[in-house]
Amino acid sequence: MYLPEHYEFFCPVKINSGHKALEQIPFELDALNVRKPFVISRKDDSERGLVDVIIDAFKDSGIAIGIFDGVPADPDLKLIRELFNIYRDRGYDAVIAVGGGPVADTAKVLNIAVSGKPNNIEGCAGENLIKRPLKPLIIVPTLSGTGYEMSRNAFFDGRDYASHFLMPNLAVIDPRMTIPEDAVTTASTTLAALAHAVEAYTGSSKNPLADAYAYTAIQLIMEHLVNVIGDQQDRNGRLSLANAHAMAGCAFSNVASGIAHELGKIVGDVCHVPSGLCMGMLLPHILEKHMSESDYHISDLLLPLAGFDVYASMAENQRARRAVDILYDLLKDLAAVSGGAVSRIWKDAQVSEDTLQDVAQRAVGNGAISDMDCCVKILREAREGK
Amino acid sequence: MDMPGYYEFCCRVKIISGHDALEKIPDTLAQLNAGRPMIVTDKGVVGAGLIDIVVDAISNGVNIRAIADDVPPDSDLRIVHSLARLYREKDCDSLIAIGGGSVMDTAKGINIIVSEKADNLMLFSGANALKRALRPMIAIPTTAGTGSEVTLVAVIKDHEKHLKMAFVSNFLLPDASIVDSRMTLTLPPAITAATGMDALSHAVEAYTCLAKNPLSDAHALAAIRLISDNLLKVTVNPGDKKGRLGMASAATLAGIAFGNSMVGMVHTLGHSVGSVCGVPHGACMAILLPYGLEYNMHKNGHLTAELLLPMAGAEVYVATPKEKRAQKVIDLIRRMNQELYEATGGRHARFFGESLDRNGKEMVPKEKLPDIAETALRDGSIFYNPEDLDYNDFLMVLEAAWEGKPRNACLTGKG
Repeated sequence: MYLPEHYEFFCPVKINSGHKALEQIPFELDALNVRKPFVISRKDDSERGLVDVIIDAFKDSGIAIGIFDGVPADPDLKLIRELFNIYRDRGYDAVIAVGGGPVADTAKVLNIAVSGKPNNIEGCAGENLIKRPLKPLIIVPTLSGTGYEMSRNAFFDGRDYASHFLMPNLAVIDPRMTIPEDAVTTASTTLAALAHAVEAYTGSSKNPLADAYAYTAIQLIMEHLVNVIGDQQDRNGRLSLANAHAMAGCAFSNVASGIAHELGKIVGDVCHVPSGLCMGMLLPHILEKHMSESDYHISDLLLPLAGFDVYASMAENQRARRAVDILYDLLKDLAAVSGGAVSRIWKDAQVSEDTLQDVAQRAVGNGAISDMDCCVKILREAREGK
Repeated sequence: MDMPGYYEFCCRVKIISGHDALEKIPDTLAQLNAGRPMIVTDKGVVGAGLIDIVVDAISNGVNIRAIADDVPPDSDLRIVHSLARLYREKDCDSLIAIGGGSVMDTAKGINIIVSEKADNLMLFSGANALKRALRPMIAIPTTAGTGSEVTLVAVIKDHEKHLKMAFVSNFLLPDASIVDSRMTLTLPPAITAATGMDALSHAVEAYTCLAKNPLSDAHALAAIRLISDNLLKVTVNPGDKKGRLGMASAATLAGIAFGNSMVGMVHTLGHSVGSVCGVPHGACMAILLPYGLEYNMHKNGHLTAELLLPMAGAEVYVATPKEKRAQKVIDLIRRMNQELYEATGGRHARFFGESLDRNGKEMVPKEKLPDIAETALRDGSIFYNPEDLDYNDFLMVLEAAWEGKPRNACLTGKG
């Protein structure tokens, strides 16, 4: 088993998952010394009734919660100032974010402000510029998050914030909150989580503790993703996927980010398609290129992808090949079960040859990948689905 | 994989692992806004020269205010109170615990008193009595076994009143655990073997008992793999740095696993043998583990069977028919005990009948077994065991583990 000579691992996130998990929040708040939490969410999620479920969960707790359900798709610092004033004036003492993506990022940046830096938020953007613990942060993920909400990162208003202090104290995963918006969103967010977990598990900065999170995430996704896309009522499947997202986010925060993540982000940006979907579609093509490199631990990947029996019965030198093939098959299965919706994205986006060159240039420019030709080749293969 | 209806998982301890991880302590303390630690340890750790290594590694940048090395092998309320006084006198602002379970528990107890500005530790016993973060604490495990550097529990004994108090809170998790291979290089073979089997029993029971969850499973599997790869190696060759780091990581992984899943009858009985006869915890675990798995086999044999892969590798796993894998795992654990017995010149006991103390005296007289079974009935860990046990069941398992005879699985009462 691979054990690095030196590693560090940190995951402050407590996971509460399952039946009536939301009803545990008041107890958890008590342990965190929180009296008056501030719940923030998107309008859509509030209209879907998700905020009502939270209100219900607090009903018998004696805790009054504040609610702001107007986080837009592209929040900015103006919103933070607005929320900061509400938070301060009403005497809130913690943030509960319902949902992923922009809501979680807003919650993290708001937490920087309310923990003592309201006038120098931008000064905290960058790597490790937050030096001390922030106030308690609780995240209630829906399936619209990728698990990135559990990570040490926030991307907000054009700036990247990265610090372990941004990670939430608590993730509350409740089946009532994991109702998929649509098949493509669920596929996209889960493929992002899969890419994060696989790159954590196979990359050169892996360690046994990050592996445990990544391993579990990969297993859960392989067991449930296709089913959930086919049957959105699959309650256990949805809960499992939301768990996998959170675990992938924890693993991702403890390793160097991988090529699928970086490249997927750029493709999503340039071509205006969900970046998680791009990460998932690029993933097997990238692994294929690295299959024979000893820095990559791809043959071990077969264990969480396919389970004990398949892994053990396959010759060691065949495992990497089989692992990559399973990831190709997953994309095919997702395309089939979504009636083609998942695979059409790239074709509809009409990613041109010029765009590929542009993407590759940016990827080489920011150091995500070193070899321009190789990068174009990966992108082309992923586009053509070979 | 079974997703439990409800589960919780948490280990917010920062893990820093490596052959020179100790050197990270000054930075780690600084990040915690601390720099005047008290070191808590025991005479064994000092005698092995480990304190010198730590002091050398951290004295640049850390102002060590006190080194308290009088923690007894069994945590003790009086010592906790007297060290808390020392902490205050020396104006310390953090704790560094270097040692095994007792040292960790003692440091956790001191931390409660000094953080809560309290006089009486016992006011904070039980589950979740703590409401806020304690002073920064760094744990440096020296045994590669207990995992208490990553658990939220402390057990402190009041020897005068013959009370044993448990403290349970996420706030008892140390801020950081430093897993450094230098800390276990000099651990004697018999202790290496026993503490390693302790870690194995944490991981195996975490995986096979009732309160498991997907994340505790993943930690347990990794721990079992590392122990299978490394325990015999480091027992035979104590200076094997890579193997030592593997075992230290395994103990941490196993500690996180059982800290988030609870354990079962192996621990129930182990605690009881320890408290009635004073047999070291790891030694009890090593002996009892195969018996616990046998007793539960009709309930959780399918889970025990899966452990064959991390224990023995792909070839053995595939070559063993599915229905024989659980038994094979149990056989392999017995074989490990046998190999450790040979590697330690007989000091690693395979059954209670051959457990001897330092003076060569029998530690578990057979007539004590009823007492032990009686004590086991009152141990909380029994709730998470897959199969029920009453007094007669405990006694039956104990008698087999005393003689060293594998039990016939079909004798287990079906409940």
